[in-house]
Amino acid sequence: MVVRDKMKIPRLTTLISVAALVVLALFPVVGVSLSWLNYLFIFFIYLALANMWNLLAGYSGLICLCPHAFVGLAGYTLAIGTWLGVPFQAGLIAGAIVAALFALLISYPVFRMRGIYFAIGTLILPEVLKVWFSYWRPVGNVYQGMGAGYSVTGVAGVTLVDTYWLGLAIAAASIFLVYMILKTKLGLGLTAIRDNENTAASAGANVFRLKLYSFIIAAFIMGIAGAVYYIFSPRINPTGGFSIRWLLVPLMATVIGGEGLEEGPIIGAAIVTFLTFRLADYGAWSLLIQGIILLVVVTVMPQGIAGLLRQVGAYRFPVKLFQAAEGRIHKS
Amino acid sequence: MEDFLIGLAPPIIKGIFLGGLYVVIALGLSLVFGVMKLINVGHGDLVILGSYFAFAAMSWLGMDPFLGLVMGVPLFFGFGFLVQRFIINRTFRVSLDAALIATFGISIIVQGLVQAIFTPFARSLNTSYRLETFAVGPLTISLRYLLDFIGGLAVMIALREFLRRTYLGKAISAASQNKPVAQRMGINPTRVYSFAFAIAMSCAAVAGVLQGLTFSFTPTSGPPLLIISFGVIILGGLGSMAGTFIGGMIFGLTQTLGAYLSGGSMLVQNIAAYLLVFVILAVRPQGIFGR
Repeated sequence: MVVRDKMKIPRLTTLISVAALVVLALFPVVGVSLSWLNYLFIFFIYLALANMWNLLAGYSGLICLCPHAFVGLAGYTLAIGTWLGVPFQAGLIAGAIVAALFALLISYPVFRMRGIYFAIGTLILPEVLKVWFSYWRPVGNVYQGMGAGYSVTGVAGVTLVDTYWLGLAIAAASIFLVYMILKTKLGLGLTAIRDNENTAASAGANVFRLKLYSFIIAAFIMGIAGAVYYIFSPRINPTGGFSIRWLLVPLMATVIGGEGLEEGPIIGAAIVTFLTFRLADYGAWSLLIQGIILLVVVTVMPQGIAGLLRQVGAYRFPVKLFQAAEGRIHKS
Repeated sequence: MEDFLIGLAPPIIKGIFLGGLYVVIALGLSLVFGVMKLINVGHGDLVILGSYFAFAAMSWLGMDPFLGLVMGVPLFFGFGFLVQRFIINRTFRVSLDAALIATFGISIIVQGLVQAIFTPFARSLNTSYRLETFAVGPLTISLRYLLDFIGGLAVMIALREFLRRTYLGKAISAASQNKPVAQRMGINPTRVYSFAFAIAMSCAAVAGVLQGLTFSFTPTSGPPLLIISFGVIILGGLGSMAGTFIGGMIFGLTQTLGAYLSGGSMLVQNIAAYLLVFVILAVRPQGIFGR
């Protein structure tokens, strides 16, 4: 079996994912309209965030309520970097690294807490950062009052097509990363921790280290996704960068799509993107409507859409089709 | 040195009085946490909803905020009962995480609701007595901080007597101490949960009035209150009223003394309480006075 996979052609599912990636990458070239590229870009950013949130909540059992800390930190690093003359490409990486370093820094105190304590402990961090960045202004003039906002300079030449490709790359990387993590020993250990932390520890899993790895990986990807968003929309301030929106998006996408399922965030991110644009006209009511949808999903179908699809056996037919097609290819 | 000590007296009194507000907020959170082992992530937002309710009663009906509570407390009680009965109890059947996410949904809904109705601008409960002060010997005391302290004390004593003397109160204490045994004694836990959440909401209505008189508020003022009150209950330990009271005072003092000692820096005043919560969580997640 394994030999077959390695020696002959790659499995059909891999082939289809690569084909989808290539088609999506070609969209700007073949003249897909800019508004669609805009929708897809937002979808990619949401997808990367949701994938990482799913890695933490669905596979590692860490209900992390601080994605907005990572997004805001990376956005600020990018913005402040461009003010100091750092090119934005370097700023992206620097933003992600700062987010990951922040995760490393706080890992020791936050991992002492479990379950609900962990959730509330992480919820404090973005609030602290929001206050900090409201008063701290390392470069540029100090504003009076509602200061401490920055525009990202030097990205005027970056078109939507460029950010589209960046977003696509990050979304694809996030999917691939989760897939790889689940295949390795790290994923096995994480799932064991999620199911029962004490048993996992007594079975020899290094609980702290495994959690730390997934936390840092998630912080890095969330950071870079946030930084790319702030190239697309080059203005950041404390209430925007550390806005609860950056928590709501991945949380909703994961819960609606299906927590702990690989395809869940993809379905969920698509729905959340649709909702974002559809509800944009309703102003403040949009938050209310999103909250109601979240409550309905949690109470009515806690497994999310992907869970529902699995329950009714919606995948059986395509999987059979795949297997039949693969069998035919390998025979010839 | 003497001047320093005399200068220290006003922030200490202000901090202790301010602690009363945090006690009221924390009692609601602590009741739900004690019975269900669930942190209601939307508790801070429910307090702010209480503030907006008082604001609406004041500006639309011309009612004094405290008079508005006659309407607000039963309304919040009923609302809390329904929310627990039809939403949170359902999610408990799935997992604790699902319930946590459901309370986050409540937080988002409340934030969206007040933002849609009252716009994101800062509001406050501008009663005639809000900014009044009076002198006690050499000290001047603001009435609103004194009201916080009296409110905190009153709600705490009322809740304590309720938990000790009524059947429902005893049932709630029993369910929070040992759920399986309470169940065998004929207590229906889901019903107790509903009443606990309803009482927590009533506390939020009272806390909302006190918070609205003390500070101005916006639709996003909720999460900071949640964090501080969470800090109060882990500092005070669960189920200990005296602990909660002391915890509230310590957080009040942290804010006022932090501001005073740093020369009125807003950064320190806002960040000091968060850092204290974080340090407590990291050093002793089970609480200082907890077991």
